[in-house]
Amino acid sequence: MAEQAVVAPLVVALVTAILTLLVRRADRTRRVVSVGGVLAYAGAVAWLFAAVASEGTLVYQVSDWPAPFGITLVADPLATFMLGLAALVAVPALVAGVRQVGPQGQRVSFHPLYHFVLVGVSGAFLTGDVFNLFVWFEVMLMASYVLVVFYGGTEHTRAGVRYVVLNLVASAFMLVAIGGLYATTGTLNMADMARRLAAAGTEGAAIADPTPVLGLSGVLLAVFALKAGLVPFQFWVPSAYRAAPAPVAAVLAGVVKKVGVYAIVRLYFTVFAAGTVDLGFGLGEGFLAYYGPVLFLMAAASVLFGGLAAVGRDDLSDVLAYSSVAQVGFIVLPLAVGAAVPAVRELAVVATLVYALNHAAAKGLLFLVAGEVGDAAGTTDLRHLGGMLERMPALAGAFFLGALALVGIPPLSGFFGKLLVFDVAARAGAEPALGVALGGAVLTIAYVTRAWNRGFWGAATPAVVDARTDGTVVAAVAVLAVAVVAIGVGFDPVYRAAEAAAEAALDRAAYVDAVDPMEVDT
Amino acid sequence: MTQFVLAGVLGALFALGTFLVLRRDLVRVVWGVAIMSQAANVYLVTMGGVDPGDVAPIVYEGTTGVTDPLVQALVLTAIVISFGTTAFALALTMRVYQEHGTIEMDEVGRSGREGVGQVGPADGQEGPVDGQEGPAAADGGAVPEDRGGETDG
Repeated sequence: MAEQAVVAPLVVALVTAILTLLVRRADRTRRVVSVGGVLAYAGAVAWLFAAVASEGTLVYQVSDWPAPFGITLVADPLATFMLGLAALVAVPALVAGVRQVGPQGQRVSFHPLYHFVLVGVSGAFLTGDVFNLFVWFEVMLMASYVLVVFYGGTEHTRAGVRYVVLNLVASAFMLVAIGGLYATTGTLNMADMARRLAAAGTEGAAIADPTPVLGLSGVLLAVFALKAGLVPFQFWVPSAYRAAPAPVAAVLAGVVKKVGVYAIVRLYFTVFAAGTVDLGFGLGEGFLAYYGPVLFLMAAASVLFGGLAAVGRDDLSDVLAYSSVAQVGFIVLPLAVGAAVPAVRELAVVATLVYALNHAAAKGLLFLVAGEVGDAAGTTDLRHLGGMLERMPALAGAFFLGALALVGIPPLSGFFGKLLVFDVAARAGAEPALGVALGGAVLTIAYVTRAWNRGFWGAATPAVVDARTDGTVVAAVAVLAVAVVAIGVGFDPVYRAAEAAAEAALDRAAYVDAVDPMEVDT
Repeated sequence: MTQFVLAGVLGALFALGTFLVLRRDLVRVVWGVAIMSQAANVYLVTMGGVDPGDVAPIVYEGTTGVTDPLVQALVLTAIVISFGTTAFALALTMRVYQEHGTIEMDEVGRSGREGVGQVGPADGQEGPVDGQEGPAAADGGAVPEDRGGETDG
């Protein structure tokens, strides 16, 4: 019975997506089905989370084909942590979407597309097969393409073209890398690949020389960095987030970006870390020693570029979009340190996961607030906004909490995220990482304060005076605000979940044992 | 020999795809993306190993020397996906033409910025929701095709 829990989130999201397609004509029914479906999704994730917490890693062999022949779905603490993160953002964003997306848009395609994004995200978190990961990425992207160009205006089509073309090219590269990995390792199953990489070079091993795997995984890293929006692959981020409806931007920034981060943790720290190769340059051997500097450069550039760009923007959505480039840098920064310094590796993955959870909740909240400000006041341009604290205190209060969580003020969720990032950098003695994190934190304070001062303090501008906020959206935002506080106040269970996830991510032997791929002669 | 021919063809396809993706004309860009994904598919087939002696993987008792069927299954999946994405990209191109009156990417960028200036900073982003769906629904062109691309995938 417990094994069935593995597919539950996938099946629930898929069934909901199809049902919302079937009841397109009935407005009320469609809303009920859609919101009910996302609640059921959260329930399925909770069930799976509880099952994995009590019984350990669960493996579901699709159609009972044994690994490595069939497609394996693996629910380990890492996957369930990420699914929990997805559910946390998905529920309030959809509830807000019911109000924020116009009736025509909801009638056309909003609900099915939203649930198809969840299908793709859940599949990507659960799969234990590299090619299947590609397929789930495509499911997720296909729905998100349409959601980015949802309003179909000038601005939206322009952003959509950029987003679609970049991701299509990235998909081609991902296929190339996967094909190359199959040719070198002879398998697509992640557990099998990890086992073969670990045995590479020994007598009778499937892989004689693991060096090509390093290059191919480098190609894959570029693809994942594009999905996560790391510099130098960040240029699609601001326009796409601005073009998408606010609840979709919340999901794109909160959840879809984290799929790229998850893929980096899963594939590089669980699978490719098994490989060893003499790198030269005093980097030692081991694939992770190579990824350390690469990830560090990308993370540091993201933190600084995103922060600087966010400080200079006049539009609230733009500030948030550039801020999410910077925050993904913060999420990847501990990974870079952990890849280079094995002693802090586990703590580094914990820091990444905690920060990712904080960013998902806080940025989801902020995008929903920005969307509601746009709906109520007719603009998100900070030059036309002011005095919102007076006119819409609940919304302003939620924005304040989300902003403080980004900065990292205790007792909010962001405090522990930042604390762990600094802790990892300090313990590893990585001064450059500390410097980047410090600079990034200062920039975060700068852009958050600037947005707050201009938009929420001062005298109410004409746009704000007539603004009326929607109660349902404020309630959805409040749920995320409560989550931001709750994660910070009751941090212990979150930390333990993240720790279990990090252990699962780094314990390759346990992962291989759980999947238990058959030995095949090649 | 086959390997060298395939390697040459792959190189040429990727070069052509890259060249087209870098063009200003959006239709060419879509062509470039399509060619690149097809090149990736051909590459994927070759990754199963190319041996002229191998036969198609229709296995009876005692059949030996078949090609790797797995890569072919992968490619079938990838073809379906790239079919859907190409259809969507073409529908999007049409929508771009309807919105901007051009498919030259330079002008699309410029017209977008001017458009924002004309409407005023209020619209264009998350502005009044009711007004936003109007054009998409009224023109009717892009919306059904969007969904077509989605379900194909």
